[in-house]
Amino acid sequence: MTTVTEKAKGFIQVDKRDAKLALAHIYVAFIALFIGGLCGLLQVLVRSGQFTLPWGITYYQILTVHGVLLGLILTTYFIFGFQIAAVSRTAGTLTDKQRSIGWIGFWTMTAGTVAASIMVLLNEASVLYTFYAPLQAHWIFYVGMALVVVGSWIGGIAQIMKYVEWRKANPGQPSPLITFMVVVNLAMWIICSLGVAVEVVFQLIPWSLGWVDKIDVLLSRTLFWYFGHPLVYFWLLPAYMVWYVVIPKIIGGKIFSDALARLSFMLFLIFSIPVGFHHQLTEPGIDSFWKYLQVVLTMMVVIPSLLTAFSLFASFEIRGRELGAKGVFGWFKKLPWKDARFVVPFIGMAAFIPAGAGGIINASHQMNQIIHNTIWVTGHFHLTLATTVVLTFFGAAYWLIPHLTGRILTKQMNHLAIIQAIVWTVGMSIMSGAMHIVGLFGAPRRSDFSTYGGSEQAADWIPYQIAQAVGGTILFIGIILVLYIVAHLLWFAPKGKTEFPIGEVSEHAEKTPMVLENWKIWLTICILLILFAYTIPVIDMIQNAPPGSKGYKLW
Amino acid sequence: MSKKQEKEPELKGTLYSVLFIGTFILVTWFMAFYLFIDRF
Repeated sequence: MTTVTEKAKGFIQVDKRDAKLALAHIYVAFIALFIGGLCGLLQVLVRSGQFTLPWGITYYQILTVHGVLLGLILTTYFIFGFQIAAVSRTAGTLTDKQRSIGWIGFWTMTAGTVAASIMVLLNEASVLYTFYAPLQAHWIFYVGMALVVVGSWIGGIAQIMKYVEWRKANPGQPSPLITFMVVVNLAMWIICSLGVAVEVVFQLIPWSLGWVDKIDVLLSRTLFWYFGHPLVYFWLLPAYMVWYVVIPKIIGGKIFSDALARLSFMLFLIFSIPVGFHHQLTEPGIDSFWKYLQVVLTMMVVIPSLLTAFSLFASFEIRGRELGAKGVFGWFKKLPWKDARFVVPFIGMAAFIPAGAGGIINASHQMNQIIHNTIWVTGHFHLTLATTVVLTFFGAAYWLIPHLTGRILTKQMNHLAIIQAIVWTVGMSIMSGAMHIVGLFGAPRRSDFSTYGGSEQAADWIPYQIAQAVGGTILFIGIILVLYIVAHLLWFAPKGKTEFPIGEVSEHAEKTPMVLENWKIWLTICILLILFAYTIPVIDMIQNAPPGSKGYKLW
Repeated sequence: MSKKQEKEPELKGTLYSVLFIGTFILVTWFMAFYLFIDRF
């Protein structure tokens, strides 16, 4: 049973007005990629010990720019651009009201981004992207970040309204798969970002304005990580949308199972949020039972991850065999290895194997001590976010942007896109590999270059830091290449029609049970699990609160 | 019931691929576990 109908040959085009809204988000995303990427390059150069920043710019300032622009701005804007286009493509053109709400969301987020960026550039907010207390930024930075979150809620509501309208017009039918996935991602985003909103509005803003002297650091970190881990899945789920729905179409195959895809997304919804403690496994003040419970819930995410791996391999194998592949792995050769729309996200998928394995190690309770606060963690999320997610987004941009601009990806650009992905893979293997290894030797994350008073152990880290600089430089070349391709697709590529690929479900798949779209059930389970995992430890944190801390500006 | 039995797709490669991922996860986890036991 297919939930998405597609007229053979004739492409369904995203409405121009919706395309404009989606493109506005994509512009901001790629501007953020350039500035954030440049700061990343400067960071690895500084940490090699061979380079000093000019004009009084500090290491922690560029670290904050890098983290905020790439971890929060690039991701959120690209995801919203992609999701708006996906909803418009599969559930129908947005109404004027929905589009206006989308624009209000965009401008709210952008006002917040500009405000926060100015404070970071003025060196008033070098608090790293996690904005951990007791490091204290200027209040405008926190207000800016709050506006980004509120703007994302407004923009998200526009997408959800389209979904609700579709459901009302088509009672008893499963919604278009990718629109459903968008709504799962938004539901997760709204539920988790409530945590960071509470932290920013009730703790960080009053404290940074001087209305209160002290802050409860433990509670603020807990609220941050209640948001911070699902944030990772907010980045990852749009990549999964591409893998589940778009890639099968690109390879000429079918979606293995609509029901399996929906089940996997619902499992992500319920298991991605009540797991923030696995970022606080060395944090005093949280009873180890609750840490253990959240570790168990974290491991549950392995299930939908492996369901996804199974589904993708199945789509590939079935398609390869249709094309005449023989033997156990003959289908692998039959995949479209010259099509950037497939190759680039495929590298992202492959990177998720070591990335996921590393994540399981990080979350394994006491074992977290091996890697906690080491640069292994930085290496880990450069595999998850900066390879798996980002390469999938680049691969999606190569059809999404020309679809929205009415242009085409030429053969030369397709070729360059594959080269870009190879450059990225080489750079990331060197940089992330060095981070993983030297992290196991104890090299810290987040910190500026230092010989630590001539320590022998710190001297052993330096060759790896030079390797990180080499890898980071190669990655910056990758950023220049992708920006060149994106600029070409935006303004210079030949005019033409590019498909927004949406896969159809395999005829072998079972009918999708409607229980998978019963929000009452899934949201109830989601909220119950959150209450179960957080209520008692948070009460404990408030009743036995640590002494409050004044703000520090150490930069 | 239809007499014509629909042929199930062959998914041997998928099975081995997923088993490879599972094995990779276990091997890396035990390597880290060994480090943990060694250090703490």
